[in-house]
Amino acid sequence: MATERDIGLFIPCYVDQLAPEVGWATVRILEHLGHRVHYDPEQTCCGQPFLNTGAAGDAARLARGHLARFARFDAIVCPSGSCVATVRHRFGELGFGEQGDEARQRANTFELGEYLVDRLGTPDLGARFPHRVALLQSCHGLRDLGLGPRSETGPDAEPVRNVVEQLLGTVSGLELVPSSRADECCGFGGSFAVKFPEVSTRMGRARLEDFSAAEYVTGTDVSCLLHLAGVRAHTGTGPIPIHLAEILASGLGEAKAS
Amino acid sequence: MTARLDQRAREVLADEDAVRRHDASVFDLRQRRDAAVAEVPDWEALRERASGIKRHLLDHLDRYLERFETQARAAGVRVHWATDAASANRIVSELLAARQVRQVIKSKSMLTEECGLNPVLEARGIEVVDTDLGERIVQLAGEPPSHIIVPAIHRSRFEIGALFHRTMGTPEGESDPERLTRLARADLRRKFTEADAAITGVNFAVAETGSIVVVTNEGNADLGMSLPNLHIACMGLEKLIPAMSDLPVFLRLLARSATGQPISVYTSVVTGPRPGAELHVVIVDNGRSELLASDGHRGALGCIRCGACLNTCPVYRKAGGYAYDQPIPGPIGAVLAPSLRAKEGGAELAQASSLCGSCSAVCPMRIDLHGQLLAWRRENRTAGALERVVTFVAATAMTRPALFGAAGRTAANFWSLLGRRFAGNPAASWLHGRELPEHPGESFRAQWLRRRETPK
Amino acid sequence: MVATKGNTEVSAREEILGRIRLAALHKARHPGQHPPPALPGGWETFAGRLESVGGTPHGPVAGAELRRMAFDLASTRAGDGRIVAEPTAADWLGPGPWQLASDAAIPHAYEDVAVGFVRGRVACAENGAVAVAGSDATSRALLVLCQHLVLIVSVDSVVPDLHAGFAALPADAFGHHHLTWISGPSKTADIEQALVYGAHGPLTLDVIGVER
Ligand code: SF4
Repeated sequence: MATERDIGLFIPCYVDQLAPEVGWATVRILEHLGHRVHYDPEQTCCGQPFLNTGAAGDAARLARGHLARFARFDAIVCPSGSCVATVRHRFGELGFGEQGDEARQRANTFELGEYLVDRLGTPDLGARFPHRVALLQSCHGLRDLGLGPRSETGPDAEPVRNVVEQLLGTVSGLELVPSSRADECCGFGGSFAVKFPEVSTRMGRARLEDFSAAEYVTGTDVSCLLHLAGVRAHTGTGPIPIHLAEILASGLGEAKAS
Repeated sequence: MTARLDQRAREVLADEDAVRRHDASVFDLRQRRDAAVAEVPDWEALRERASGIKRHLLDHLDRYLERFETQARAAGVRVHWATDAASANRIVSELLAARQVRQVIKSKSMLTEECGLNPVLEARGIEVVDTDLGERIVQLAGEPPSHIIVPAIHRSRFEIGALFHRTMGTPEGESDPERLTRLARADLRRKFTEADAAITGVNFAVAETGSIVVVTNEGNADLGMSLPNLHIACMGLEKLIPAMSDLPVFLRLLARSATGQPISVYTSVVTGPRPGAELHVVIVDNGRSELLASDGHRGALGCIRCGACLNTCPVYRKAGGYAYDQPIPGPIGAVLAPSLRAKEGGAELAQASSLCGSCSAVCPMRIDLHGQLLAWRRENRTAGALERVVTFVAATAMTRPALFGAAGRTAANFWSLLGRRFAGNPAASWLHGRELPEHPGESFRAQWLRRRETPK
Repeated sequence: MVATKGNTEVSAREEILGRIRLAALHKARHPGQHPPPALPGGWETFAGRLESVGGTPHGPVAGAELRRMAFDLASTRAGDGRIVAEPTAADWLGPGPWQLASDAAIPHAYEDVAVGFVRGRVACAENGAVAVAGSDATSRALLVLCQHLVLIVSVDSVVPDLHAGFAALPADAFGHHHLTWISGPSKTADIEQALVYGAHGPLTLDVIGVER
C-alpha cells in the first residue's frame, strides 16, 4: 500500500506532448518536498475533450482506464486544473458513483497548486522570479475546483483561499500585476478554440491586452497558456505565458536523472 | 469547419471600435451588478431560495396554473391558453381585430419577440409601437433586439441620432443621449395617448392571487396599462410563482442582476382590470412543456430574463447578440434555442461556449447554464457523423497507451507542417489569429522513459 | 366571442395541462419563507437610498410644516402647470392649489398635469421604493402621466427590506387593480448606457416623510 508520500503523477496530454518542462517542474517540486513521484507511462487522456464534445461513450472508456491506472495511489497530482476538475467533478456525468473507492480516488486527485496549499501549507520553495507577472485564473480551476474567489459570488458565500496568489507570494522578486477583469476566460475552451477561432482569438487578445503591464502571465493550465502563446505569437505583443510550476521550481535544481 | 456563429461574428469583430464599445458597455452592466450584489448580505441564500421556490413551482406547475387561472378569473381577467407561437399570435390578433384596434403600444416582452408577434399584427394592418426606448430604436432601425435588457446596446449615440433624424425628423447631428431621450419621449407620448390597446409581457404571475407583475424602469408598461381600455399581457407558462410572499425573493434578485439597481423603478402588481377596462392574459407554452419533461433541461424554465448571463459571457460580449441569430442571444438563448425552435440553427449554439461557467455562477436562479449546454451537446451527437468517427478513432488511440505514445512521437514530425498556412491544413482554424506553439520534440513520456527506470 | 375559437382554447388548455401532468416531476417542497436579512431600516437609510436612485427625500415633517412643504414643492416643480392630488393625499395635505383626482375621470384627463400628489403605504429602505396601493391612486394614469410626482409617506412606514415591505402592506392593498412600487423617477440608459431621468414617466420624484 502506497503512503501519502507516494504520489501518482498525472500528466495530461497537452503537457505530455507540448509542455514536458511543466511535467518536470512538477516532478522537481514534489521530489524536493520529499515525495516519491510515480509516473505510469501507460497513462492516457482523462476523457475531457470527449465529455465536452458530448461523446459520453468514448469519455467513459477513457475515464475507466484513468481510474484503473491510478488506483494504487492515495494522492494523485496533476499540473492542470481542468483535467483535475474533470476527474473530480465530471466523471459523475458518466455515471461514476459518489461513494466507494473510485469516489475517494477522485477526491484525492489534486491540481498541483491546490495540493501545495491545502495539503502542504504553502511551502516556500525558495523560488525567485524577479518579474512583473499577471495571473490567468483558469475557469475550471476557479469555478469547479474553487482555487480562488470568484467575482460572481455574493457576500454570504464561504470565503475561499486564493491558491495561485498565495503560492506566488512565496516567490521572491515577483511583482503581481493586477488585471481589470480578474477571472475573465481566455477563450480557449477546447473544441471551442477550433470551432470558433474568430471569437476565441479575440477573447485571447483581450486578455493579453489586459495583462499588458506584465512581462509574464501565469496560471495552472497549460492548455489556456498555449492558446495565449499562440495568440501572442501571432500579434507579437503581450506577456509571455509560463506555467505556475515553472515559476515555483525556479529555485530548485534539475530533476535527478535517477 | 468553423461554426456559423463564428462566421457571423467575423463581420462584427472587423469593426474594432464597435467591439470595444460593446464589450465595455455590456461588462459595465456586469460590474454594476457586482457592486449591487456586494451590498446584499444574503445574496447566495436568496439565489438558493429562489431556485428552490421555482423547483417546487415547476414540479407542481399544473396545480399552480389552474390556481392562477381561477384567481385571475375571479378578479375579472380573461385567461387564454396558447400551445405554440402561432396560436398565441392568433389569439392576440383576434382580440385586437374584434375590437377594431388600429394602434397598439407595446412594452418589452421577450415572449412576443420569440413568437414573432409584431409582423403578424402588422400584416393585419395594425400599427405596433414598441415603447421601451431601446426596443423603439431597434424597431425604427428595422432590426431585432441584440440584448434582452438593453436591446440597442450595439448602437452608438451617433447611429441613434442619425436614425431619429431619418425616422422622426429630429434635428440633424443630435447625438446627446439626454436630448435624444426627450425627443423620443415626446414622440412616444403622442403614440401612448392615441393607442387603442396595450400589449405587455409578464415578469411574474402570482398563483395565490391571480396577479401579474410587470417591471420597467421607463414607466412605459404603466402608461400602457393606464391609458387604453384594452390590455393584453402575454406570459410564458413558467412565469408563475406560488404566493405573493415569494415575490420579494425574486424582485430582490432581478434588477440587481440586470442593471445593478436595487429594484426597478416601477414594479406593478396588477390584480384584475382597471375599472371599465379589459385585461386579457395569454398563457403560452411554445416548447416549454417539453423542457419541463426533461430532467436535464427543466432548470432553464427558472430563467427570469435578467440578462446577467449575457453580460458576463465573454463570447456574447465579443460576438454581439446578432451572431446568435435567435430571439434570445447569449448563454440562456443558446440553452433555450433548440426547444423554442423560433429559428433554424439553434442546436449549433450549444457549441458556442468556452464552458467558462461564469454564466452559471452569475445566474440569480442558479441555472446550470453551461451544464445545460453540455447536455445539448450530448443529445445532438447524432448530427455530425464524421466528427463522431474521428473522435472514436482518437478515443481508441488514447485508451491504448502504445498507440497514444506513437501518435505523440509522430505528432512532433507533423507539427511544423501543421504550423504553416496552406490549403487543406487541418489546423487551419487554429491558425486563424493564432500560431501553433513550438513542439518540444520529445514528449514527457519519452523523456521519462529515457531518463528514468520506471519501477513496476 | 366566437364559439369555435372558445373550443380551440379549451382544448389548448387541456393539451398544455395534460403535457405538464405527463412530465416526470419530482414533487420538490416549497423551501419556506426567506428569513429577514440583516439590513438597516429607518427614514435616514431610506432617504439615502432614494437619493441614490435619483429621487429627492424631504422631511420628516409634521402638521403645518407638511402643508408648507407641499406648497413649496408645488410651486417649484409646477411653475404655472396643473396640480392634482389624489383624495387620500389631500386628506393629509388639506386644501391647497391642487385639484382632486377623481376615478370618474378618463385617464387621458391627466395628460397635462405638472405635479401629482399621491400617498404611499410603505417605504422600503433597501431599495428606496414606495408602495402605492390602488386605493390611493384611483387614477392610475396620474402616477405616470404627471411630469413631477410627489409621494407622501409616514416615516413609521419605513421597513428595512422588501420582504418586510410586502408583509407590511394592508390586507386590501392589492384589491384595487394595482399595487405599484416606485423607486425614483422614471429612467432609461438605452442610449450608450448614459443614465437619463424622465423616460416615459415623471421627470422627478419627491418623497415627503411625515411624522404623524
Ligand atoms: S439564465 Fe439566469 S442569468 Fe441568464 S437571463 Fe435567465 S435568470 Fe438571468
